[in-house]
Amino acid sequence: MNSSTQGIPFRTNAAQALRNATLRGAMRNATDTFTIKRADALSGVPLEEWREQASAMRLHVLDNLSDYVDRFEKNAARAGARVHRAVDSQEARERIGSILKDHGIGRVVKSKSMVSEEIHLNNYLETQGVGVVETDLGEYIIQIAGEGPSHIIVPAIHKDRRQVGKLFAEKLGCEYSDDPAVLTRIAKKVLREEFLSAKAGISGANFAVADSGSIVLFTNEGNGRMCTSLPPLHIAVLSIEKMIPSLADLPKFIRLLPRSATGQVQTTYMSVITGTGKPGESTGAQEMHIVLVDNGRSEIVNGEYREMLKCIRCGACLNACPVYRMVGGHAYGSTYPGPMGIVLTTLLDGMERAHPLLDATTLCGACGDVCPVKVPLPQLLRRLRERRVEEGLTPKLEQTGMAGFGKIVKSPFLFHLGQTAGHFLWPVATKIGPMDALDRLPRPVGKTFARRVS
Amino acid sequence: MTRDEIIDLFIGNAVKVAAEPLRVNNNEELNRVLGPILAESESIFCPSVTDKEKAVQLPPEKHTQDYASASVCVEEVCAAIAETGSLVCSSQGGKPVQAGLLPAHHVAIVSSENIYENLDDFFSTLGNSPPTNITLETGPSRTADIELTLTIGVHGPGRLTVIVF
Amino acid sequence: MRVQLFATCLIDTFFPETGEATLQLLRHFGVEVSYPQGQTCCGKPADSGGYRRESRKAAEHFISVFEGNDDPIVIPSGSCASMVKNHYPELFKDDGRMREKAEAIAGRTYELSQFLVNVLKVHEANLFGKGRITYHASCQLTRELGVREEPLLLLQSLKGAEFVPLPYADRCCGFGGIFMAKLPEVSMALADEKVDTILTTGADTVTGCDHGCLMNIADAIRRRGSAVQVKHIALVLAEGLE
Repeated sequence: MNSSTQGIPFRTNAAQALRNATLRGAMRNATDTFTIKRADALSGVPLEEWREQASAMRLHVLDNLSDYVDRFEKNAARAGARVHRAVDSQEARERIGSILKDHGIGRVVKSKSMVSEEIHLNNYLETQGVGVVETDLGEYIIQIAGEGPSHIIVPAIHKDRRQVGKLFAEKLGCEYSDDPAVLTRIAKKVLREEFLSAKAGISGANFAVADSGSIVLFTNEGNGRMCTSLPPLHIAVLSIEKMIPSLADLPKFIRLLPRSATGQVQTTYMSVITGTGKPGESTGAQEMHIVLVDNGRSEIVNGEYREMLKCIRCGACLNACPVYRMVGGHAYGSTYPGPMGIVLTTLLDGMERAHPLLDATTLCGACGDVCPVKVPLPQLLRRLRERRVEEGLTPKLEQTGMAGFGKIVKSPFLFHLGQTAGHFLWPVATKIGPMDALDRLPRPVGKTFARRVS
Repeated sequence: MTRDEIIDLFIGNAVKVAAEPLRVNNNEELNRVLGPILAESESIFCPSVTDKEKAVQLPPEKHTQDYASASVCVEEVCAAIAETGSLVCSSQGGKPVQAGLLPAHHVAIVSSENIYENLDDFFSTLGNSPPTNITLETGPSRTADIELTLTIGVHGPGRLTVIVF
Repeated sequence: MRVQLFATCLIDTFFPETGEATLQLLRHFGVEVSYPQGQTCCGKPADSGGYRRESRKAAEHFISVFEGNDDPIVIPSGSCASMVKNHYPELFKDDGRMREKAEAIAGRTYELSQFLVNVLKVHEANLFGKGRITYHASCQLTRELGVREEPLLLLQSLKGAEFVPLPYADRCCGFGGIFMAKLPEVSMALADEKVDTILTTGADTVTGCDHGCLMNIADAIRRRGSAVQVKHIALVLAEGLE
């Protein structure tokens, strides 16, 4: 049952992940914990009302996206930031690289940004001779390990404490400990020096506010604040669909994002950063650049899958997904895993590469239930599966089987014939390679229900 | 909500996020609650700009102007939000936002009349030209990146004390 | 009262006893049941793989078989009932005439437990059961049809049986139609986890409204070497009629 050889080998990745007992334990623990925390945090609030309002606001923004992006650019510039538009990953990387080069920066501190993973920023900067220090603890861990994130909120969740302890001992030369508090202290000490000496900080943004030109950053550790206010130069990179109209609209999302992501009423820190030093202010970055990444979004927003762009990157759908829970994020072979990852990867990377990910759902619908902004994930997944069939990317045997099904289903005679054949050929059919799934089914009966009632 | 109800709501929510809220009514009470904290600190940063900041009795030998190396920062913050138990730290008027970020202990004084009932009340006051940096601070810094085990005290302060004055 | 029964291809082909139990139940409560012999499959297997054209063929056939009269259509399967109620109208969104027919059919289609509780009020009747029963809440039944309470009301009403709730009852069992064949390793792992939760209940029987799920769960139970029985809710209820 293999798909195109160009496609992400999800089945192989998944089977491998299933054999990794540490990973499975970690994923079970993480998704169960997040699910309970989210449910607790959202009990007793008018959730449906909140979701509907947030969804309507996000749709409104998408309906007027280019206006909002223009408005944001104008107001961010008014506030003292320099805004750059990047049509694709390459342009975004190169723009950031050249800003750093112009300032003679050889090392940056970075707070977590999923879009920076999407554009493969870190690797590019390293090739340009710029050292990147990830400062979010989870990102720091995977950076040392040379891996990508496996969850959009807790990037290192696939590792247990022993693995992190061993990693730190090997790569940082410290004494082995598997106590998370000790490991956190070790990272804190290393990163503190980096923060205080950094000449530039790179951040993402959870939202961008069009009317004021502000970016909004949610963190728990304080690394976001450190990266954006300690070094003299701050570069923020974000994708264009993150817009909200004004600061007065922010509370809707403050109420939904932390609760959906980690079950918190609010993250420890939320910074609203609007340009650079106003009269009478001291400290903070002196120069701010904002790189707005398109990477296909202005096309997606005009198409039938546009509602995917409502996503506020909370990760709730990952935590709800029975498949993600089993295999973790790396199996998806992409920046974004889980249900939102399947859809977004297909839209950003294209069907040819991403279509095997469309297997990675049972269409159970749990993701759609938990999305705080009502992204219709189950419908998007269904529709993408249909498109995959339309583009002829499903296995040939499957296509043949379905064509046969199409004939049989309209003819009671052929249908009954098929049932009879199934009954007699079953012992043979289950031995044929790609039909091994039949092994898990019972044998078709000799006397079907239809024959019993007639 | 009455002012007292708002304060109670704030304090209740601040407790939930481990922000150690205290309530004082005058300078004497302020210094009484601060005394033990300052006594156990090695070095203290305090901007001493606002009236309440100036009322803080700082042991002169511990006082430092370098907030990056201070073990505690005592400052008045511009507002708080009862709905979430958050403080609002603003860069307006020359406040160094990092002063409350770098030391291990942040002691934040907030005037009771500056506590907003909810997020909407606060954010609707900002308009379209806010100060460069507005940060909502909700409890001490934390991470759960390793096995979702909570550790308090990462890059930002590991201890937050809020004094409602 | 008269209804038409759509037995589903799984019941017709693999689990005829569930069909018989469904007939027995409905007749016991005074319902006259007709079984249009032309029925085949609702099309869900094609639908779950994204084969819209083949799904439409199944839908056209279903509609032609069941449009003969206005009797309610009862289906002992959440996924099939949802296919008819939720997906048939959408399949014909570009064909006004067929869409109208699909909506008419959808409007009088019931999943079995929906019908038993909301129309026949069977949960208020005298039903018997035995042993310890737990219940797996299948995905399309709960999330697409919104049927959550009805199976519970039925099972909790069984005198003599002990109903024990299943932890994470509505977590997917890993069947997913075509998913079972395309990602068998993940499917089996999900089914194994479902069996883990079933075993924590100490139940001797696990029941549900969907044979797709039950088939997948039964396979995992067999692989585990467990003696827990897997029975469709129609069978559980019909056994209690004796």
